[in-house]
Amino acid sequence: MIRHLVLAAALAAVAAVPLLGRDYYATLMLPFFAYSVALLGLNLLFGTTGLLSFGHALFLAVGGYAAAYLGSTLQVRSLEAMLAVAVVAAVVIAVPVGWLCVRYVKIYFGMLTLAFGMLFYSFLYKFYGLTGGDEGMPVARPSLLGRGFGDLDKTSYLIGPYYYYSLALCVVAAVVMWRIVHSPLGLSLRAIRENADKAEYVGVRVRRYRFYAFVIAAVFGAAGGVLLVVPTGLASPTLAYWTHSGNLVFMLLLGGFGHFFGPLLGAFVFIFLQDQVMSVTEYWRFVFGAVLAAVVIFLPRGLMGVLARQERA
Amino acid sequence: MTQVLNLLLGGVFHAAALFLVAAGLQLVFGVQKILNLACGSFYALGAYAGITAVQTALAAGVPAPLFLLVLIGAGLTLGLLGPPIERLLRTIYDRDEAFQLLLTFALVLMLEDVIRFVWGAAPYQLGGVYLVYGQVRLGTVTIPVYNFVVIGAGLAIAAAMGVLLTRTRFGGIVRAAAENRGMAEALGVDMARISTRVFTLGLVLGTVGGALVIPAGAAVNEMGIELIVEAFAVVVIGGLGSMRGAFVGALIVGVLKAVAIAVYPEAEMLAIYVIVIGVLLFRPAGLFARATA
Amino acid sequence: MTPLLEARDVVKHYGDVQALNGVTVTVREDEFVSIIGPNGAGKTTLVNVLTGLLRPSSGRVTFKGRDVAGVGPVRLAGLGMARSFQLVNVFPGLTVAETLAVPTLARCGRGGRPFASLGRDADVREGVAEMAALFGLTDKLGRPARTLPQGDKKLLDVASAFALRPELILMDEPTSGVSTHDKTAIMETLVHAAKRIGVKAIIQVEHDMDIVFGYSDRIVALHQGRVLADGPPDAIRADDRVVATVIGRLR
Repeated sequence: MIRHLVLAAALAAVAAVPLLGRDYYATLMLPFFAYSVALLGLNLLFGTTGLLSFGHALFLAVGGYAAAYLGSTLQVRSLEAMLAVAVVAAVVIAVPVGWLCVRYVKIYFGMLTLAFGMLFYSFLYKFYGLTGGDEGMPVARPSLLGRGFGDLDKTSYLIGPYYYYSLALCVVAAVVMWRIVHSPLGLSLRAIRENADKAEYVGVRVRRYRFYAFVIAAVFGAAGGVLLVVPTGLASPTLAYWTHSGNLVFMLLLGGFGHFFGPLLGAFVFIFLQDQVMSVTEYWRFVFGAVLAAVVIFLPRGLMGVLARQERA
Repeated sequence: MTQVLNLLLGGVFHAAALFLVAAGLQLVFGVQKILNLACGSFYALGAYAGITAVQTALAAGVPAPLFLLVLIGAGLTLGLLGPPIERLLRTIYDRDEAFQLLLTFALVLMLEDVIRFVWGAAPYQLGGVYLVYGQVRLGTVTIPVYNFVVIGAGLAIAAAMGVLLTRTRFGGIVRAAAENRGMAEALGVDMARISTRVFTLGLVLGTVGGALVIPAGAAVNEMGIELIVEAFAVVVIGGLGSMRGAFVGALIVGVLKAVAIAVYPEAEMLAIYVIVIGVLLFRPAGLFARATA
Repeated sequence: MTPLLEARDVVKHYGDVQALNGVTVTVREDEFVSIIGPNGAGKTTLVNVLTGLLRPSSGRVTFKGRDVAGVGPVRLAGLGMARSFQLVNVFPGLTVAETLAVPTLARCGRGGRPFASLGRDADVREGVAEMAALFGLTDKLGRPARTLPQGDKKLLDVASAFALRPELILMDEPTSGVSTHDKTAIMETLVHAAKRIGVKAIIQVEHDMDIVFGYSDRIVALHQGRVLADGPPDAIRADDRVVATVIGRLR
């Protein structure tokens, strides 16, 4: 029951942030919501199923550019429409990519996903007629549940209605993913991670379920991508770059990829730590590289692993 | 006709650097079973250090034609980084591959900022010193002799690697360790020493590769992380762990890239990925699949 | 009666090595067949061919009349054949209950549902409880598989194959790695469980001759890729060739 209390408290705290008058921290929470959604998906693929993708950022980019295209080119300003299109686009791309990638495991899977991510990056970068090239594509401010909030300036919009919309979406995503993880598919995926060969012998359709996990992860990634680009107002090719995928995995490891809430904790710590470090030095990548190395060597189960140990002790 | 030749030579030139980086990748993968994401970062380090070394040497009065030796020397000197980095990676040899990839990714991040710290963010160039070897005219195009030198160096190093691996005791041990590490250890091989040497060799291949190709271009912060994708393409096409595969794969990728840029610039990387996907569909282990224990 | 599983004139070579040299084996309903033979006789290859892991170089393998050459483990499980292995193979991080739930879900065709509730699935719970009871694992349902003693891991491994409720189960050295004292206990558990869940035939590869002669209806002796003898235990015991090559001196 302690867990439920902690969760409720955390949710209340997060909901209260915009009301506390610290606008800056409220704006930092926005990428947290976006990455949380995307990482819930990556955690299904990596934490639950055991497939390490170095190309998950591909789907964030898909979501981001779907939002941009809808808002700026097609003048469709509804966030719901953007999310819907992003999800459809993610499925359309994830089906062939996933079909190909899940035929391989471990290193090959990592390399293939990295390659596909960079393939998409190249496409976004080179075909500037379609995508705006390295300048990216602007993302128009979307309406939320039909309401435009035109009277609010950008910051008020982001810290107000958009904040709570993102929070709600994040909660919805978590609930849906909780269902999936605790479903028969979730158990089959864990069996695949534990021992894929044995899983086959007890009748688990390994390749097919890995494929499902891939597509589900892609959908969550794209939804996260949409949330990510609205605050900045820009979708750029770097969204798909492989180092962005690397950062996603970093966040997951930091939080603890064996746990359900690992992704959220990882995203939170990463974003706030990055903010703090960047204010002190421009060489934040070095610091983060060192942090990652330390986590890999000393805290392989991530921060949730540390907390879980406390719980038992 | 000469345009085609120019194109091919450009592709082979790039392939030489790719081969060196990929060879380093294959060596480390073969023995330590780690896919080193930082191989591109070593390449970048070699490029930056090479430029600095040559500039310093020229300022100190070293005659221009010797700049090639200075470049190679810079690459070799960076080998000093091998043992400490290998020690770091050694902590996770037996862990899940995910951790290994992430640790090398941590290296990528750190080295990126090291380069930015030491050399700044602006493109860094050597100037025209490579022209000291002169140029060759083929029809309407002029090609610096230096490019042939690099191609020659790539071939020489490839041949040397071949001899090293097949005809020396060290090479035999390396191949044995790659085939079956436990067995090699049981037979008395000091895996720690071998791992350090192999890793350093792999690192040096990357740094020398970067140093050699930089004179004609400019070193930029992203060059390391950009190269990794091509290096992976080489390794997938050629087959993980295979030196011959690195050679052939590098040639294919290098030439293909050059052709693609000339024909349809937008499609340069796409062409490479199409090949990668094609290889994975029909010969998943690569063209020179090696049997692993 | 049509045989349940039939391998006819199966030949399998790996390059120059001839692993199976025209093997014909038939298994009918209600039979317990043991495959014996010295190392290198081709037992493992035969088992791999029978269970659809390997395609024979020539010859046919049919299960319930259907060609099953090279179908692979998942399809085979769907067709009604399950297999257990010599080396203990578990899902280290899954509990006993979860380990048994996986094949149960697969059997019910529900393994891929992303939104169904696992906890509220009565069929699964009952199936898991029944399997655990048959194999004496009921009090260990909540323990992660990796924490079990070796003997229980073996039982769990076999139980997960049984959880598919196959019509035919093929066991590769089911009592290997188990102390002599426990071997009989395990065999009794297996045979009892098979009867309870309605397994129609059992094939085992076994080296322990006491077990072989104690439980088999028929024994197939393999030697150098060929069937040396095929018959009931008494006939095999009396067969000099088999005694010489496979059994050695019986106590």
